[in-house]
Amino acid sequence: MIDFQSGYILRPVNPVFIYFSLFCALMLNLLPIGNYGWVPDWLILCIVFWNIHQHRYVGVVWAFLFGLLMDVHNSDLLGLHAFSYSLVAYIAISWHRRITALAVFTQAFHLLPIFLLVSLFPVLVHWMLSGEFYWWALTGAIQASIEAMLWPLATRILLAPQRRPTDVDHNRPI
Amino acid sequence: MLIDFRFKALDPIRNNVNWVLRPLEYIMMAPRNVIEASSDYFTTRGTLDQENRAMKARQAELSLLATQSEYLQVENQNLRQLMDLQKQVSFKTLPVEILFNPPNPISQRVVINRGTDDGLKLGNPIANDDGILGQVVRIYDHSAEVSLLEDRDFAVPVQVARNGLRAAVFGAGRGNPLELRYLPVASDLEVGDVLLTSGIDGVYPPGFAVAIITRIERNADKNSSNVFCEPVAPVNRYRQALAFLYDPKWEAKASTSSNKTGAPVNNAPGRRQTRARGMQ
Repeated sequence: MIDFQSGYILRPVNPVFIYFSLFCALMLNLLPIGNYGWVPDWLILCIVFWNIHQHRYVGVVWAFLFGLLMDVHNSDLLGLHAFSYSLVAYIAISWHRRITALAVFTQAFHLLPIFLLVSLFPVLVHWMLSGEFYWWALTGAIQASIEAMLWPLATRILLAPQRRPTDVDHNRPI
Repeated sequence: MLIDFRFKALDPIRNNVNWVLRPLEYIMMAPRNVIEASSDYFTTRGTLDQENRAMKARQAELSLLATQSEYLQVENQNLRQLMDLQKQVSFKTLPVEILFNPPNPISQRVVINRGTDDGLKLGNPIANDDGILGQVVRIYDHSAEVSLLEDRDFAVPVQVARNGLRAAVFGAGRGNPLELRYLPVASDLEVGDVLLTSGIDGVYPPGFAVAIITRIERNADKNSSNVFCEPVAPVNRYRQALAFLYDPKWEAKASTSSNKTGAPVNNAPGRRQTRARGMQ
């Protein structure tokens, strides 16, 4: 796969690294930080990243399963995150060609609506089900923008193993 | 989602997912617990000494009260029996630990480390030494979810301690003051009144502090008053709490049925009345 930022061809991805990073993101989400609206959802960041870069490994099914786990952890309605994660995974996969060709910061702007959808989806569902709108829960928008701001960092960390040079000459580092 | 919302039919699935998820959550709680434990470890001798003295004074005070309250309770039960009133139900308590606060923008909940296997039931109230914290709303085998007082539209039937006026306290979301709804303008309320659980719902045992009134806005046009209160117990602070294993059906029925048949009423003040309530 071509790295559009540098123009080089990336090394093939290691599936173990993909699943390890997803597991780490899940564990970060399970940190007992407290009920704050702005804490970024590491898992959706990671899922969307791999949807865009390696959609053959991480697709809608994985997003659904992780969403189910998050539903139980967050004590939400069962299926709330599962649905929003898989919806977002679908959108991300269908956009992945366009997004990868953009510069990293532009990518972050393009992904903001995706993160907004995930963050505000619980509010919308509760609005539909109970007829009450939780204005306080709109702080999820802050979470979404923080996630979008973390996107360049995620790109840097998660693509690092693939950006290693193929032949390293230890005598001549440059 | 609709199935879960309407029928609560997916709780077995939830329980199974929890078997996978809970060990991971315990692992991720480890760093926080280590930090807290180390800060506890390095408290100075002076603070401990001070705390110890305060505790001793408090204990002496409480044990004095406890002996008296036992006597008062037995007397109260006997008087109630004389007057043919229903007996006050005794209950057991179960110490629980609050594990974490799930990140959920819509509800205010905590997860505790006891479940059905420890005898906890759906709807059991949770309290700490100051007052009521919340109620068990979803239960698993080894853990349970507790809705806090601050949870939106979470209602507790209360009674004003000063004059016995009955009302219901409603939660209004995180950080917002609790509300006392459906009260006319002329109701006798003052700022600083303590609200106790009234026990008429059969969920909360009567006589536990819930909230203190902090602000009253009387609206004569609509014949309603907006009353705001503050929970007595620090809802988002401590890690330890008590669950009340309280079921009003245990003993209330026995006393009424024995009265109906005309059998001689035995003078026992309760089935498992060993110590004063809250002391077990």
